[in-house]
Amino acid sequence: MSGGGLDDIGDLFAIAARELRTVVRTPAVVALSVVFGLTVVAVAAAGSGARGGYVPLVLDLLPFVEALVPLLAVALCYRAVLSDRESGELDVLRTFDVSRPAYVGGVYLGRGLAVVFVVFGSLLAAGATVPVLSPPDPTFLALNEAADSPVAFLRFAVLAVLFALAVAAVALAVSAAARTARQALALAVGLLVAIVVGVDAAAIAGLASGNLGIDAVPLALAVSPNGAFRSLVLGVAVETGGAGSPTAALAGLVGWVVAALAVAVLTAWRPVE
Amino acid sequence: MTDHEPTEPATDESITMSNREPATTAETASDEPTGENADADADADADPDPDLGPEPDPNVEGGRPAIAATDLSHAFGDVRVLDGVSLSVAPGEIVALVGPNGSGKSTLLRFLARVRAPDEGTVTVASTDAGGGRARVGYLPQQPGFRAGFSAADTLEFYAQFVDEDVDVAEVLERVGLADAADRRVGALSGGMTRLLGLGRALVGDPAVVVLDEPASGLDPGMVERLFDIVSALADAGVAVVLSSHNLGPVERTADRVVVLDGGRFVADGDPRAVVESVGAADLQTAFGDLVATEEVTGR
Repeated sequence: MSGGGLDDIGDLFAIAARELRTVVRTPAVVALSVVFGLTVVAVAAAGSGARGGYVPLVLDLLPFVEALVPLLAVALCYRAVLSDRESGELDVLRTFDVSRPAYVGGVYLGRGLAVVFVVFGSLLAAGATVPVLSPPDPTFLALNEAADSPVAFLRFAVLAVLFALAVAAVALAVSAAARTARQALALAVGLLVAIVVGVDAAAIAGLASGNLGIDAVPLALAVSPNGAFRSLVLGVAVETGGAGSPTAALAGLVGWVVAALAVAVLTAWRPVE
Repeated sequence: MTDHEPTEPATDESITMSNREPATTAETASDEPTGENADADADADADPDPDLGPEPDPNVEGGRPAIAATDLSHAFGDVRVLDGVSLSVAPGEIVALVGPNGSGKSTLLRFLARVRAPDEGTVTVASTDAGGGRARVGYLPQQPGFRAGFSAADTLEFYAQFVDEDVDVAEVLERVGLADAADRRVGALSGGMTRLLGLGRALVGDPAVVVLDEPASGLDPGMVERLFDIVSALADAGVAVVLSSHNLGPVERTADRVVVLDGGRFVADGDPRAVVESVGAADLQTAFGDLVATEEVTGR
C-alpha cells in the first residue's frame, strides 16, 4: 500500500507500464501511429526537402509536424483518465491508496513514452530519406554544406518530442477535467484548434490591432505551444533565426507541461480524508 | 438462520453484533431517529480522528468495529439520498444493505470504500498495521470495468503491485472461481465472470474490510451461491463484509445483519430473522416489501 515516497514512485511506474501496454494493445491507436509515421515519411519523400538536405527537410516537415503532432498526442491522451473514471477503475485504484500525483504521473509517463516513440521514430525514418534522396551537392536551401547536418535534424526531432509532450500533458488535463466523453471530445477539439491556430491567430490579431507591441512578439510566441515549437526549431535546430526567444519558448513549453499536469492532478479526483 | 457465524458468536441473534433492537416499522416510520441514528447523534460531538480508526462501539462485538460510518448525510442537488445514517461493522460480520433502486445504497457503499466523501459525517476504518497506516477497503463497484486488452491474471497482477503483501494471483482467481479463465482477455469474459474478477480485485491484498456493490447482479443461481460462499469464507477469516443485493434469499441465509435503506434512512437494522419477524413476514423478500411499502405510505 502506498505510503508516499518510494511507494509513489513504484505506483507511478506500475501505472505507466499499464498505459504503455494499453496503447500497444489498442488497434486504433496502433493504426493512427502507423498512419502518422507513413504520412511523415511520405511528406519527406514527396517534397523537395529531402533532396536538399536535412535543413530543407526540417523546413518541409515543420508545418506538418505542427499540425499532426498535436493530433496524435491528443488522440492518445484525451480519454486516458476519463476512461478509467468511466470504467470505475479510478475508484478502485483509490482504494489501493494510489496518490493523485502517482496516478497522473504514471498515465503521463506511459502515454508520453508512446507519443515519444511514434514521433521520434517517424521523424528518424523521415530523416533517413535524406542520404537516399539527396544529391551529392547541397541545393539552394543549404548553400553551406557544413550547416546541413544530421545533428540539425536530430535537434528538430528532439524539439518535436518536447512539443508532443507539452500537447500530451494538456490533453491529459482535458481527460482528467472532463466528466463525460462528449465533454472530453469537445475540449479536445477546442484544444487542437487553440494550439494549432488559435493562439497564433490571437497574437497576429493583437499585433494588427496594436494591442500587442512588437517587443511582445517573443512572449506571444512562447505562450503558444506551436509558436514556441516553431521558435525553437528556427532558433535552435536549423539556426535560421526568428522572432522568438528560444529561452522563452522553452520556458513556455515546460510551463504548459507543468501547468497541465497540475490541472490533471487537481481534477483527477477529489481526495477523501 | 445464517449459514455464516460471526467471528465471536452472539448470544442473542435478534441483537447480533449491534445489541440494539432492530428497528420496527412503527419505530422507523416516524421522523424520529432510529436507535442507531440516536447513537450517532450522541457521538456527533466526539469527532473521531480518522487516523486512529473507529471509536470503540459498545454495540459492536469485540468493542472496536472494523469500519464505522457516523452520521452520514448526502444530497445530489435537491435530492437527499442519505440523512444522518450510521453503521458499524465488526470484524467477521456480514452486513447486507438492501433497499429500493435509487435509495442510496451505492452512494453509501462508495463512502464506506472511501472513494467519495459525504456532505456530512465520517467513515473510519480500523488500521491493520502496527504503524496505524491507512487500511485498504476492498471495493467491488456496481459495474466493474477493466482494460479489455488484458487477461484476468494480468489485471490482478497489475493491482497486486499496489499492496505490500506478496499476492498469489492464481490463488485469488481460484478463490473466485476464475482459475480456468486466468489467461482469457477481460473483454472476452461474460458479465458474471467480469463481476467475479471484480470481486477478485477487491480481495487483492486481503483487506480487513470488503465493500461489495451488487456482487450477485447478473450471476446465474449457481454463481450466486458460489459468491455467497466466498463471502461467508471471507467473514470466517475475520473480514468485515458490507454488501448490497437484491438477491434476498441468499442474503437471508448468509448475512449476520440486514440493513434496509429507504428515504435516506435505515428503516430496519438487525438479524435477518428478527427483521422478518418484526413485520410478521414469512421471509426477507416479503418483509422488505412490507417495510418499503410502509415507508411509502407514511410519505417518507
